[in-house]
Amino acid sequence: MSILTDKNAGKTALLMGNEALVRGALEAGVRVAAGYPGTPSSDIIENLAKVAGERNIYVEWSVNEKVSLEVAAAGSFAGLRSLCVMKQNGVNVASDFLLHLALSGTRAGLVLIPCDDPGSISSVNEGESRHFARLVEVPLLEPGNFQEAREMVRWAFELSEQFRTLVMVRSVTRLSHASGNVTLGELPESDAKAYFRFDGSLIDAQTGPVITAPVPMRHANQQKKLKQIAEVFETSKFNTYTGPENPELLIITSSVCSLYSVEAVRLLKLEDRVGILKIGTTWPLPEKLVKSHIAKAGAVLFVEEVLPFLEENVKVLALDNIEETGIKKYYGKIDGTIPSVNEMNPDHVIRALTAILGVEYSGMSAEYEQKANITMFTKSPSRELTFCPGCPHRASFWSIHNALAMDNRDGFVCGDIGCYTMAILGAGFNSIKTAHAMGSGTGIASGFGKFKMFGMEQPVVSVCGDSTFFHAGMPPLVNAIHNGSDMLMIILDNRGTAMTGFQPHPGLDVDAMGNRAEAADIAEVCRALGATVVTSDPFDIAGTREKLLDTLENGKGARVMILRQICALSPEKKGKRQYEVRVDTSLCRGTDCGCDRLCTRIFRCPGLVWNKEGGHAQIDEIICAGCGVCTDICPAGAIIRSEVTK
Amino acid sequence: MQLAGSKELVSDVIKNDLCIGCGACVSLCPYFKSHNGKTVMLFQCSRDKGRCFAYCPKAEVDLDGISQYIYGRPYGAEALGNYITVRSSRAGAAAGLKFFQTGGTVSSLMMFALRQGLIDSAVVTARDGVKGKPVVVTDASKIPDYAATGYSAAPVASGFNEAMNAGYKKIGIVGTPCQVNAVAQIRTNPMEAENFTDPSGMVIGLFCTWALDEGAFRKILSGKTDIASIKKYDIPPPPAGVMQLQSGSGTIDIPLTEIREAIPGACSYCHDMTAEFADISVGVFEGKEKLNILITRTRRGEELVQAAVSAGFLEAETLDDKDISGLAAASMNKKKRALSKLSLENKINSAEGISVLRMNSDTLKQLETM
Repeated sequence: MSILTDKNAGKTALLMGNEALVRGALEAGVRVAAGYPGTPSSDIIENLAKVAGERNIYVEWSVNEKVSLEVAAAGSFAGLRSLCVMKQNGVNVASDFLLHLALSGTRAGLVLIPCDDPGSISSVNEGESRHFARLVEVPLLEPGNFQEAREMVRWAFELSEQFRTLVMVRSVTRLSHASGNVTLGELPESDAKAYFRFDGSLIDAQTGPVITAPVPMRHANQQKKLKQIAEVFETSKFNTYTGPENPELLIITSSVCSLYSVEAVRLLKLEDRVGILKIGTTWPLPEKLVKSHIAKAGAVLFVEEVLPFLEENVKVLALDNIEETGIKKYYGKIDGTIPSVNEMNPDHVIRALTAILGVEYSGMSAEYEQKANITMFTKSPSRELTFCPGCPHRASFWSIHNALAMDNRDGFVCGDIGCYTMAILGAGFNSIKTAHAMGSGTGIASGFGKFKMFGMEQPVVSVCGDSTFFHAGMPPLVNAIHNGSDMLMIILDNRGTAMTGFQPHPGLDVDAMGNRAEAADIAEVCRALGATVVTSDPFDIAGTREKLLDTLENGKGARVMILRQICALSPEKKGKRQYEVRVDTSLCRGTDCGCDRLCTRIFRCPGLVWNKEGGHAQIDEIICAGCGVCTDICPAGAIIRSEVTK
Repeated sequence: MQLAGSKELVSDVIKNDLCIGCGACVSLCPYFKSHNGKTVMLFQCSRDKGRCFAYCPKAEVDLDGISQYIYGRPYGAEALGNYITVRSSRAGAAAGLKFFQTGGTVSSLMMFALRQGLIDSAVVTARDGVKGKPVVVTDASKIPDYAATGYSAAPVASGFNEAMNAGYKKIGIVGTPCQVNAVAQIRTNPMEAENFTDPSGMVIGLFCTWALDEGAFRKILSGKTDIASIKKYDIPPPPAGVMQLQSGSGTIDIPLTEIREAIPGACSYCHDMTAEFADISVGVFEGKEKLNILITRTRRGEELVQAAVSAGFLEAETLDDKDISGLAAASMNKKKRALSKLSLENKINSAEGISVLRMNSDTLKQLETM
């Protein structure tokens, strides 16, 4: 049995942050969970899907974040506690509905967990979801550790039901993906029945229609709720203070930054001089609590990720209450004491504390640091971001790059978010020249494709993954078709939301819970929209290049090419080799003029390595995925593949 | 002459509008490709020196070195280059040609050379619309399939490289002067490869004053006719001033002034109208319908012509100086125009950097004062 459904309340278990969040939702009796995959959030829905049958929950991977929030909202409207999960930029996608939902209000508990990625470890942005709480006027909680992650989610459902508003519980990568001890609570038995009531008054969202009108009334109502919620937050156990009664410096912090603050204070032995106010209820701020702590402190330092959210809100609060707080010096991101980009860590806090308090600290000697830096650059092997051995994207971009180069009109690729974003780099032969949000490459290409009237002759190509196609790729394609844009959309169909762990999408015949589902055929969808569609197997590099050259030269208007090949890491393919591949060293030209190590200098599949002593290429038999593409790359025919007999 | 690599080939030739797309750098490595008449580099190569650069007819062409190799003397100032005999010619009955554009001389000679085993393969140009691409032929009966004249520049020299890669030792090739110059450089083994033997069996050059950029040519034609249906391209002698196309919709005349817009910049640097480093050069005999002018330049070229005449593959008559004075004047004009442009831009015998051509100063002086 999964620890997530362990009935032994009081038991302590080692849980990943995302598991702790899931446990909290299960303890709250969640009935509906929806989300769109995105690191670091994906395993929340995956874990819920695993226990969906056992706990009688409906779990789905929705087509995108906006729809996932709509599905979860439906659960709330029908009287079911509901959870929605997404990564930080997903909140931008969902924000239109979120704005309206904040006005309309909710019924049964509705909790949104956005998982932010400070430092963009697995993202192409480090956007922050916290600002949406202030923007759309909903309460925001930030767990500071694993135990709080469980407890806060459980409480968030209660809070949501008490005030009939969506509650945000914001996690970050270092909480979601780290592990810690969590003491389990009770798992309730719930028999909630779904029913949507709409016979009540037009202005009562609990019994009547769930709408945003009349806006001024509902808006005022939501703001009144926030005031009441702030009162509740004044006594929340998730806001804690540790330190002297009158600290020289007060650190105001939230989330995992509170742990970095504790570590820094301990390392510098400043427990007698520095106090730490950890805020768990970040928005709306508990005003009385915050101002009383500022009043007792000599100065204030904010430690948070990424933008100065607490800092700004506290400063406004302090100015409003300046007679009580007194005139204090504030350190943080705004004055540059703490960086306002990238993730936080104890070193940043140490640097801020030593600068503010004039204490000395050196984690390592200058000599050691210099030596370590030199060694790092000279001795460690270069490990650039690249595609896996056997990745279809490498083969796809090989053909895309070569077709655009041969076409010779300075054609380029507009990309978006997926493993294939790495085609900005050498992994994809530097093919991608714009990279933004999901589906944005196709939207940008739709624009570029209209600029012939201004003399732009460059061929315009966009790439988009299969999951991304359903998420945000269809509207820009329709736009391009309708507006007569001259562009080629290449759908890199690797059969799943591969980057985040093979979550299903509407193109597959399985759903989040493993049940059979209706599969939408991407090619048919595109044809129905009005695009001409060509399909190719990217492993057929000669054929793919020819098809690309043909459509680049002769194609007109918006057209689609689907490059379909299953991801090398997908469960159905992983570990199964189509070919045994070897290098015939007598044919390998080595470094002689005529090849210049095309295989290991340009193509650079990690499964191909250069044998320096022998002066020839060789296959790394451990990691070679047996796709056989390198056989077609080698100009000397020295890479031999033979079909694996099954 | 100095040897360089792909980097210089891209920066000094391709990006400098000197590339004519002859294909000399193609089919040697995975990096240079020919597409739609243009040569492109797919990826950067890290070699300092390469065959790509050494074979290029627009980069560091050592005219004296080549002349020394083929004729045993430095490059001279003759209008038509080194030659043995100039004749008028046309295909003989034994060749059995049903179709040929002018006199059928080239097709007859190639067929005959293949039949006699003087060459083991023939690199000729296949035409598809405005596109030209090299084909390696070993069956003499297939030669007439490639008899049509095309005007767009084609990567014919890459066909020579492909024939070498395939192991042919006596390769015959038909090409324009730039393509012949590329082949001439290949023959001199500029990279000093060990165990090298000249892989050419017979080089037939075609007179050329300019070629057309395939893409630009296609653009000119695209509004006028269905390119795929064009059966024949021809430029009738002056004063017609047109290019004549025979397509599905009949004969179309396009003014040469319009056609000239598609001439690549590289042609204006070309000093060679008559393919001076071929074994045999062939062109249209202006004013004489269905006759070629045939220049033999080397011993093996002359022997082939004599044997072909004996076997009835060729009909030929020796011409005297006055018959070829027009051709010589045209050739000298092209030479002088190109040399003056090259000098002006410091692209001949340059002391620094990469020179398009290099030749002995005596010849250069003579040509400049003619």
